[in-house]
Amino acid sequence: MRETAISVKSVDKYYGAYHALKGINLEVPTGQTLVICGPSGSGKSTLIRTMNGLESIASGQLEVLGLDISDDTRNLDAVRKRVGMVFQNFNLFPHMTILENCTLPQIRSVGRDRAAATVEAMDQLKKMHVDIHAEKYPDQLSGGQKQRVALARALCLKPEVMLFDEPTSALDPEMISEVLDVMQELAKENMTIVCVTHEMGFAQAVADSVLLMADGEIVEQGTPDQMFNNPQSAITRQFMDVVKK
Amino acid sequence: MTTSVVPPVPKRGFGYWLKKHFFSTWLNSVITVLFGALLIWMCVKLSNWAIFDAIWTVDNKEHCGHGAGACWAVIQDRGRLILFGLYPYEEQWRSTLACLIVILTIGLSCLPSLWSIKKLPTLWVIGFGAFVLLMRGGFAGLPLVTSEQWGGLSLTIFIFSAVFVLGMPLAVVFALARRSSLPVIAKGTGLFIDLVRSLPLLTILFAAAVVVPLLVPDWLEGNKLGRVVVAFAVFFAVYQAEIIRAGLQSTSQGQNEAAAALGMPYWSLVVDILLPQAFRNTLPSTINQAVITFKETSIVTIIGFFEVMASGNAAIGGGEWTEQFVEVYVFLALVYFVFVFGLSRYGAWLENRMRVGHA
Repeated sequence: MRETAISVKSVDKYYGAYHALKGINLEVPTGQTLVICGPSGSGKSTLIRTMNGLESIASGQLEVLGLDISDDTRNLDAVRKRVGMVFQNFNLFPHMTILENCTLPQIRSVGRDRAAATVEAMDQLKKMHVDIHAEKYPDQLSGGQKQRVALARALCLKPEVMLFDEPTSALDPEMISEVLDVMQELAKENMTIVCVTHEMGFAQAVADSVLLMADGEIVEQGTPDQMFNNPQSAITRQFMDVVKK
Repeated sequence: MTTSVVPPVPKRGFGYWLKKHFFSTWLNSVITVLFGALLIWMCVKLSNWAIFDAIWTVDNKEHCGHGAGACWAVIQDRGRLILFGLYPYEEQWRSTLACLIVILTIGLSCLPSLWSIKKLPTLWVIGFGAFVLLMRGGFAGLPLVTSEQWGGLSLTIFIFSAVFVLGMPLAVVFALARRSSLPVIAKGTGLFIDLVRSLPLLTILFAAAVVVPLLVPDWLEGNKLGRVVVAFAVFFAVYQAEIIRAGLQSTSQGQNEAAAALGMPYWSLVVDILLPQAFRNTLPSTINQAVITFKETSIVTIIGFFEVMASGNAAIGGGEWTEQFVEVYVFLALVYFVFVFGLSRYGAWLENRMRVGHA
């Protein structure tokens, strides 16, 4: 088994003249959970979105599951079939039922037949405790339910890596834990996870590593214990003080 | 224990409703009475003219016009001309059957359960194939009737459905091309759409009927009806393309990203995700465009096709029924009304049905 799932080497990214990522170096070992945090505008969402090619990079090297996606878009399809992503705003397909949301990507991406896709979809929906809503439409569900459906939809493709881009930021407070719970289960099953979040409880519980970004740069990376209790950088200390409150 | 609270039921009958909306003040009462009287007077006049004093059969034709009501005898006498145009009298059953086949095809394609990439085109190829074979004939003992002799209602319905069925896929192609990431394609399509939109439909149809045969080699010429339908379809498509483009723009960027992140191919993003949402978001405009197109079919008269409107004019043109133009136009209006109203109700039904998935 490959030891490094994602490898980022001196990656730069610009939006026009704005330098969004400044020489990022990062390795995510297989089976580990990395939490990325940082103030808004620090480039954390941009960074995670480069990992499945939703954002292109200007320079540097980016390898996901051994496939180079730095500037070779041919590997992009292969990577996206093996890397799942969950978004802040769920991005479910509103004109399809929950079940169809989960079966269509299987049929279109990996060519599974409808019967097998339905079995897989119901299985994943059950694990996320939303199987009773299979025939409903996304707008009939709460935010927490929608996000669990989005997670089930991604897991139907049997991804080797899961990317979470602020998965709980659009949720009402009472729904955050139902999403974090299923994410924790996933982390315990040794899924490779990269998660942009401010939920430090989640980081403390399951993260192998926590990374703090500010102004397009990695400020500090360490174990949750190090980062929360003994941060080296003044920026980290300040940020942790704010989110711990 | 929670006790269920029943909302108070308003005990307000018809009298309350009447008073609230029509007799709330003295002024409103006066207006109600005045307009009520006018409305009743008009209804009486209309029903006397259209029903009670009307002449229904050709046998009583001599009474027409002498203070009597509507002379529906003209419809009995010239109805076939209006509905079939110049189509040969003995063969008009073929026109009826062909018309019914296209109406059935339209009806079937309104059923959402038949909306698939295989079923719909198959249905229309069969429907149009049967229409053309029946109308044209020239086999199995059916005399040949060329498209120059087609006319009346079946021609109107044929032109409308052919324009819609050819124009809709074309509109999708135009809309996608205008959003293409390749500037040549996007700009080129944009220019083409703007160009066609700035020409009157009449000019385009006239060019297709008269000018194209002068410009292209014989084998490419096709027949006149075919050329006119294609030109009309392009005209429809450039308008519909802008409607679809608006629908595509109203879908969120998140949909593209979700499909991309799930490894779905581009064609699937377009066919499964973006177009269905674009169509439901723009359903009212699309129905609007369909209604306008149905009514615009009457313009083909100019280039010598006897669709239902022109046939109606021909029916009163003979001298015998010149004075009954009102009756003929009322009849034509009813024919148009049946189709356009049906289209509108179908649109409303579809919108309601889609709302279920789009709360």
